[in-house]
Amino acid sequence: MSETAAPIGLSWAPKLPSLATTGGGGGGRNIPAPAPSTAQGSLWKPASDLVDGLFVPPRDPRKLNKMARKDVKDTTGKGWFDMPAPTITPELKKDLQILQLRHVMDPKRHFKRAGKSKALPKYFQVGTVVEPASEFFSGRLTKRERKTTLVDEVLSDQYLKSYRMRKVREIQESRTPGGNQKWKNKGKKTFKRAKDRRKQD
Amino acid sequence: MRPPARGRGGRGGRFDGGGRGGGGRGFGGGRGGGRGGDRGGRGGRTPRGGRGGRGGRGGGMKGGSKVVVEPHKHAGVFIAKAKEDALCTKNMVPGESVYGEKRVSVQNEDGTKVEYRVWNPFRSKLAAAVLGGVDNIWIAPGTRVLYLGAASGTTVSHVSDIVGPNGLVYAVEFSHRSGRDLVNMAKKRTNVIPIIEDARHPARYRMLVGMVDVIFSDVAQPDQARILALNASYFLKNGGHFVISIKANCIDSTMPAEHVFAAEVEKLKADQFKPAEQVTLEPFERDHACVVGGYRMPKKQKTTS
Repeated sequence: MSETAAPIGLSWAPKLPSLATTGGGGGGRNIPAPAPSTAQGSLWKPASDLVDGLFVPPRDPRKLNKMARKDVKDTTGKGWFDMPAPTITPELKKDLQILQLRHVMDPKRHFKRAGKSKALPKYFQVGTVVEPASEFFSGRLTKRERKTTLVDEVLSDQYLKSYRMRKVREIQESRTPGGNQKWKNKGKKTFKRAKDRRKQD
Repeated sequence: MRPPARGRGGRGGRFDGGGRGGGGRGFGGGRGGGRGGDRGGRGGRTPRGGRGGRGGRGGGMKGGSKVVVEPHKHAGVFIAKAKEDALCTKNMVPGESVYGEKRVSVQNEDGTKVEYRVWNPFRSKLAAAVLGGVDNIWIAPGTRVLYLGAASGTTVSHVSDIVGPNGLVYAVEFSHRSGRDLVNMAKKRTNVIPIIEDARHPARYRMLVGMVDVIFSDVAQPDQARILALNASYFLKNGGHFVISIKANCIDSTMPAEHVFAAEVEKLKADQFKPAEQVTLEPFERDHACVVGGYRMPKKQKTTS
């Protein structure tokens, strides 16, 4: 028992440091569910579900099936060669958001609308472009230009940066009050009456 | 989806992998304004001077840049999104690029590595049809495809990616010269069967080819409808599908393109084909159309409700 449990305990121990200290009864707690080839997070069970510190699979086949279904990794299915749904980290989320906003990044670049939905995609992978040998000199980023995420690439782009700065400055200037700080233009909600709006145009 | 970034000269061709001589772009001299002038000099030294443009800008899809790969509407096809979009297929042979196309390598969370190959719509009519918004290409993972007019096997390699290890591609090509490249490509891909024969005589390769689900035809011959019908009668299953790319100039260069397409569709209808849709490949190919449909479709059952 202990030899089967040991590698699993090792693999997820960093995630739950408290268990490693409190679990004096050895690795016996960590006996996995019937489908052991699954995500690490699903192996953990609260102490109330354990019998003598051991996990016992439920007798009811429906419950067992439900557990097995939960353990299967979420993918697109065989139509797209089982592309997995990654766990969304803050970096990944930023990458996806910048993809949705890419039409405002660059004034010279135009994109087809991606659709009305604001939802982030569920199935995706982040990859690195590998250039063919023929483009070694023309289509390759140097080691210094390579970044770890899409957002970093956008931020490090000098041309995009100058455009961004200019836009920010323009917006700020258009909203600064002429004399009195009270007249500060707060965008649309400042002009309540049609007369004001006409004046603005 | 069409390549979004085609507005600017120097950059317009990035989507198509750029490397192919740059001739088709027509922006060879375009050096994008004052910006990036220092790098432009570098561009001029290489034979492909057209790349100059915004050298320093790092227009999308350079080697080493990050992209997000998402599934496309069609099964087996993916989109790589970054500052630009590109169509991709999952590489059957990771680490190999067939015709000098870019690849996207992905490391999954569980440590496995996956690779995608960028699919250039300027070189592949099937990719152009997909970007043109065709409703269904019928080529999906696990299908068996007969590919007429395989040429050097650039599109065939992507079709072999799409059908995956469970599918099969019979690639027919008459020319020995381009057939050589086709055979070399097929050596690495277990699901491609190259056939160097005349597609007009399917009897000559009937012992090699089994029943197929889809026929893709890109032969550009005046009698291509007849060639397709002949091959379909031998190999295409009832209720199977066909995808044919029609080049108007190859059939009748005196008539307007639309009339040629209409005449070809009529010919197909006479041969038990049922064309379902037609798209032009306009931004990518001139006077081309892609027709998709079924073969010997079963009669629809009227549902009594």
